[in-house]
Amino acid sequence: MEKKTKEKLVKSFYFLFPFLSVAVALELLIDFGVISTKFIPSPSVMAKTLFELATHKPPPPTLFDHVFGSLYRLILGYGLGVLIGISIGILLGMNKVLHRSFSPILSLFISIPTVAWVPLLLLTPLSGDETIVIAVFLGSFFPIVYNTMNGIRGVGKELIWASQIMGAGNTAVFFDVLLPGSLISIITGLRLAIGYSWRALVGAELIAQAWISEGAGYLIFGAMFGGHPEVIFAGLVIIALGGFLLDRLIMDPLERKTIEKWGMVKER
Amino acid sequence: MEARRLLQSTLYFLVPVGLLLLGWEILSQSKIIHPALFSSPSEIFRTLYRLLQMESPTGQSLLLVHIYSSLHRLLIAFTVALASGLGLGLLMGWNNHIYRFLDPLVTVAMPVPGLAWTPIFVLWLGFGELPVIAVGALAAFFPIVYNMAAGVRSVSKKLIWLSRSMGANRKTIFLKVFLPWSTPYLFTGLKLGLARGWRTIIAVELIAGALSGLGFMIFDAREYGHSYIIYGGIMILAGIYFLVENVIKWAEKHSIQKWGMVRS
Repeated sequence: MEKKTKEKLVKSFYFLFPFLSVAVALELLIDFGVISTKFIPSPSVMAKTLFELATHKPPPPTLFDHVFGSLYRLILGYGLGVLIGISIGILLGMNKVLHRSFSPILSLFISIPTVAWVPLLLLTPLSGDETIVIAVFLGSFFPIVYNTMNGIRGVGKELIWASQIMGAGNTAVFFDVLLPGSLISIITGLRLAIGYSWRALVGAELIAQAWISEGAGYLIFGAMFGGHPEVIFAGLVIIALGGFLLDRLIMDPLERKTIEKWGMVKER
Repeated sequence: MEARRLLQSTLYFLVPVGLLLLGWEILSQSKIIHPALFSSPSEIFRTLYRLLQMESPTGQSLLLVHIYSSLHRLLIAFTVALASGLGLGLLMGWNNHIYRFLDPLVTVAMPVPGLAWTPIFVLWLGFGELPVIAVGALAAFFPIVYNMAAGVRSVSKKLIWLSRSMGANRKTIFLKVFLPWSTPYLFTGLKLGLARGWRTIIAVELIAGALSGLGFMIFDAREYGHSYIIYGGIMILAGIYFLVENVIKWAEKHSIQKWGMVRS
């Protein structure tokens, strides 16, 4: 136990050390006037800005409004992407004709940068919020469909035949063979999709900035027009942290709880 | 037999896409779906043809100018990203201290959406051409550096010992062991970097005030409510990406696959 905590401490030190040293170096360079604060704020000012954004309530969209606004859109769009993506992926994976006719269309759609849809969506009567949710949905939908489909198709025919011979009905084959067999691929899709969604979210918030009133992308784009580099950097810290935490706090445990537990992780 | 398979896969591509376009055309023409929002494919293709014929102020085809400026920016951004990513990746793979220092920074910065860097670069460089290229280069840089470092680090110690005991010096080991061994990783990095660079450049063109490029064309069309130009732009985007991806696949098949170095 002792040894484990120590190991953890050393590990987090190695992880944090580069950030600290870059911050100290930057602070010193700015103090000595080598770099102008017009371009890059000193880390202390950045930290102060973050603190002020988080605590001083007065101007209506606070830091929490921005973060929760973004999170809300992400959860809604990604949730839809997971539900619809997995269902359609299973359908396309199980039926050969459907697979062959839809996979070319799918590969064409995957080639389109998600944010290119945003200007089109903004032409419709949809609100800014709805537009961003749809963009997030589109970002997650395609990798999920693609990976689910390939996962289902990757389950060996022998396995299915074997279980059928042993008397498994269609439902049993689906829940006990097809679904667990394609789980690695589905989780890979979910993991890819959360990154795509995160990118689509921030991108759509930047592009649809005039249609919304809060969100991480909204925050930094507004700060660009106001000429506030410290707010932009504070926003970038939030965005970087958000992407990092989504991966570590949600996708890592999900992977551990499902595939690793079932002993299905591929050899590294 | 080979020809038949090729024909079959072409048909399997063309028939569904054709049916999709046909259904869309009928729905749009019969006004079941809003024709101003879902312009019919025939109108989209007519628009693309018109844009191709239209002259830009410099006397070239307007559509080609947009395509060219996007690709031109991609080329510059990708070259910068490749040179710096390759160099830094090799350094990180070669020296453990450098790796330990830079890895956390790369890990945290990599998932930041490329587009999110736009505001700060616009503040630094002003609106226009420069921020588009800079943000595109940054977006393409991370996957290249990451994969290059991973590739060099994946070289087994035994392989190095083996070549050393057979009398290879540092230079030979670098050229004959490290480089070929990390090429498949480099390819992965290049593929990801190219894709991310392309997506990011199109996206930055939407907001950074560049006055040409496919992203600009799409954004500009929105201002005037010309949905058919947006659809046309999206189709060209898909087409270009599709083409580039297949070129890379072909290059992969004829280089690393031939050398038997494809990662499973």
